[in-house]
Formats: sequence, structure tokens, C-alpha cells
Amino acid sequence: MNSQSGMSRAQVAVLYLILTTSIASGIAIYSSASTVTALLKTATTGLFLPLLLSLIVSFLLDPAVQFFEGKKINRTLSIFIVYALMSSLIFLLLLIVGPPNWEGMINALKADFPRYISRAIEWLSSLLAVAQQHFPFITNYDLTERLRSASQSFFGLILMETPRSAIKIGSLLLLVPLFSFFFLRDSRHIMRSLISLTPNRYFEMVLDIYAHVSWQLSHFIRGRILEALIIGIVVWLGLSLTDIRYAPILAVIAGATNLVPYIGPLIGMIPGLVIALVDLGMGGQFWWILCVYILIAQIILDNFILIPILISKVSNLHPLWVILAIIMGGKLYGVMGMIIGVPIASIVNIIFIEIHQYRRTFNLYNRYFTNRGKLL
Amino acid sequence: MNPFWSNIFRSSGYKQTLTYFLSTMPMFKKLDDRELGFLENIVHVRNYGTDEIVFNEGDIGSGMYSIRSGQVQIFNRDEQGQETEQAMLEAGDFFGEIALTASRPRCASARTTEPTVLIGLFRSDMLEAVRRHPAPAAKIMLGLNRVISDRLLQISVQLEKLKKQLTDNQKKQTDE
Repeated sequence: MNSQSGMSRAQVAVLYLILTTSIASGIAIYSSASTVTALLKTATTGLFLPLLLSLIVSFLLDPAVQFFEGKKINRTLSIFIVYALMSSLIFLLLLIVGPPNWEGMINALKADFPRYISRAIEWLSSLLAVAQQHFPFITNYDLTERLRSASQSFFGLILMETPRSAIKIGSLLLLVPLFSFFFLRDSRHIMRSLISLTPNRYFEMVLDIYAHVSWQLSHFIRGRILEALIIGIVVWLGLSLTDIRYAPILAVIAGATNLVPYIGPLIGMIPGLVIALVDLGMGGQFWWILCVYILIAQIILDNFILIPILISKVSNLHPLWVILAIIMGGKLYGVMGMIIGVPIASIVNIIFIEIHQYRRTFNLYNRYFTNRGKLL
Repeated sequence: MNPFWSNIFRSSGYKQTLTYFLSTMPMFKKLDDRELGFLENIVHVRNYGTDEIVFNEGDIGSGMYSIRSGQVQIFNRDEQGQETEQAMLEAGDFFGEIALTASRPRCASARTTEPTVLIGLFRSDMLEAVRRHPAPAAKIMLGLNRVISDRLLQISVQLEKLKKQLTDNQKKQTDE
């Protein structure tokens, strides 16, 4: 038997052992790999937002840190100085203005929200009645009922999410300063060691492109945040001239939605207009509020002053991409994703444009290939 | 003294550091220790193998290199691909310093002839340094300026000499 198979008993045993161990270890590696990825997934959930926010914060604070660094203070110390300055500034602002009564405002809004929604639905259904006169087939779709149920479920979601988001905000207040401290201190070092991994032949190119992209990005992010801040402040000031309630919350909404071009400002003004319509009626104040939202904040301030000064033309996205980014962001991260989707798309856009520009001006093909097409 | 057992590094410890190497470069000669430390943080150490192209003639340059160890050949290539050697640079030499101030095409190609360690100083880092640490950056720029002016001076002297030779030759020809 041994001579027929050409193998001794010991050899067969060894072969069997090897085969079984390899199969077993293969299964073990496969299953552990899937559990590892699952573990990684659960470990990293919820880290995206704090990381993104701390990146933005570090981009915002970087010029201030550089200012102190220029005064021959080492970087770590200057970061601490900037942190101390920022926290004292916020503290001072709170002392002067007095903390806006967020909690009371949100509770009042909770009470008022159904009222606003029902009024908006009433108004919409009156509009629908007019539409039904002209297009009778609309009666088949019970739009008002659908809207009512949607708004109720949305309201329930807000009620449920409030305590959870409070915990989230608490963790953000802890994590973001910590992360941004390390980003501020070590980002240069991290990027340098990453860039030094590139092969010699492409090193100069990668270094140049990195310098361009990081310059554009820092300007873009700083510009966008400053723009949102200024718009929010202006809306706040404009709304506080009227009797409208919830001016601070409306200003925050206006500022945050302003991060999304084209569509954001339109959506950001809806709550303000609804509240104005319900509480103040279609009077002079309503028209003033509309004027603040559209004419002052959007047309004069944003279009003529802020965008030309703060944001370079490079980062303009085509409206189609804006809509796609909003939809995809919404699918991934909900409302938050809708707001940050467009800035992230613009960042990707900036990177592509910079690389393209670099390729065109520096003619990479000629740079790395000879006339005969041989790779140098 | 047995070199296997005795500490041969004791005396030359400082001389092996990157800081010391940088302080021997003509453009960085006048920097103090603090500024040298700063410079050490913005240069890149790159390792090259044998016969590796550092850059090609006509590339848009983005910085200068100095040779820490090894050898670099500077050459031009004509239409037919024929190479003419311009210089053979050794450890301690530097090249490509014009690209540091302006993004102009390289006027020659550079290639290593043996395993080489190059210290690169690039324009983007220099620009960032100017923004973040203006004083040492200005000193480095001045040192660079000095080197380039020296080269310019040498070239103008040579040009003067050549012009004189040319006029002498023309005179001779007219006399004959």
C-alpha cells in the first residue's frame, strides 16, 4: 500500500496534519478578520464627527497659534495660550451678553412647535384647495395628512433625540479640544512623515501639490466658517430688531444651513418665515424679516461681500454636484451629513483641481517619460 | 588603540549630526544653533540608490539638494540623447539652489552614481517658514542670496575674461 501511494504512513500523517492546520488557520483568520473589521466598525462609530470638528477647529485656530509662534514662543505653549484666550473670550462673552436661555428657549419651542406646524399645514391645505380646483386629480393624494404625520414623527424624533444629543455635545466638548490640540501640535510632523514615504522621483511633485492643496483647504474652511458666523450674527441682529421669538436659534439655523450653497439659505429661512407668519402675521415685520434673510444676509452680505473676499473661485462647485453631495451626505449621516456633505465635496473638488492644474502647468507626462515613452 | 573596542564615535559625535553637516554648508554658515535646529526641521533627508535620477533638465524645480554622502553627476542631454557631463559633485556640495526662490525649469539633469543621501530644502517649506518664523527664514534666504551672488560674480568675471580674449583674437585677425 505504501509503495502504491508512494508515501509512507508518516508522510501521509504529516500531509494530513498540514492540510488540516492550514484549513483551520484559514478559517480562523477569515473569521477573526471579519470580527476584527466588525470590531473596528463599532470602535470607530461616532468618531467621525469629533474628528471632523476638531480638524475644523484646528484649521481655525492655526493662524492664532502661528501668530504666537512668530513671537518666539514654542508651539505647544502657544497652543495653550490660544486655548486660554479662546476660553476666556467665550467666558467674557457669556458674562457680558448673559448666557442665552437655551434650555428655556428649546422648551418653549417644544410647546410652540406643534402650533407652528399646524398653522403651516393649514396654510398649505388652503393652498392645496386652490390647486385642487385647477387640478382635480390631486385629491387622490392626501398630501395634508401625509405632511401632518411626517411632521409629527419629526417632532417625536426631536423630543427623543434631545437628551441623547446633550450627552453627545458633552462628549464633543471634551473630545474636540483634545483632538484639535494634537492636530495643531503634530499635524505638520504627521504630514511630513507621510510625504517622506513617496518615492524619490515623485517627491518634489507630491510636496508641491500638498503645499497647494493645504493652502487652498485652509482658506476654504476658514472662509466658510467665518461666512457662516457672520451670516448668523447678521441674521440675529436683524431679527432682534423685530418682535420675533427664538432669534438666536433661528440665527444658528441660518448660519449652519449657509454652509450648503444654493439650497441651504433657502431652507434656513423657512423656520424663521413660518414663525414670523404665525406669530406676527403678514405685516411690516414679516417683510422686514424676509428682507433680512434674502436681501441683507444673502444678496448683499454673502454674494457681494463675503464670498468674493473669503472664498476663492477655485472652490465653486457645480449645482449638480451640490445636490448630489446633499443627497449622499443625507443618506450617510442624516441632517448632519446634509450640512457637511457639500463642504467635503468641495474639499475633494479642490484637491482634484489642484492636481489637475499642477499636471497642466508642469506637464507631468514630459517630466516622467522621455520622447520615446520610456519611464525615466 | 583598538578601533573595535575604543569609542571612535566619542570625538566625532557632534560631527555626525545633521546640524553639524548643515552648519558646514556655505549658505548656512552664519546661522546660530537655534536657527540650525529650525533648519533641521524643514529639510528632508532622501536616500537614493545607484543611477537614480534626482531631476531632469526642463523639470519645474522646487528646491535645492545638498549631498550628505555619495556622488551626483550633473549633465545635459542634447537632441540626440547624447549626454555631456557638467560636474561631478561630492559630499558637502549642493545643487539646484536657484529653484528655491523661483519655479524655473531645471537647466541640467542630476543623477546619482552611487548610493547617496541627499538633504533637500524645498520652496514650499521655505515659504511656510517665512510665514511662521520670519527671522531665521530671512537669514537662510540671505545666505542663499550670498551663494547665488558669488556664482554670478564668478560668471561675470569669466565673461569679462572671455570678452577680452575675443577682442584680442579679433585684433589679431585684423592685424594679420
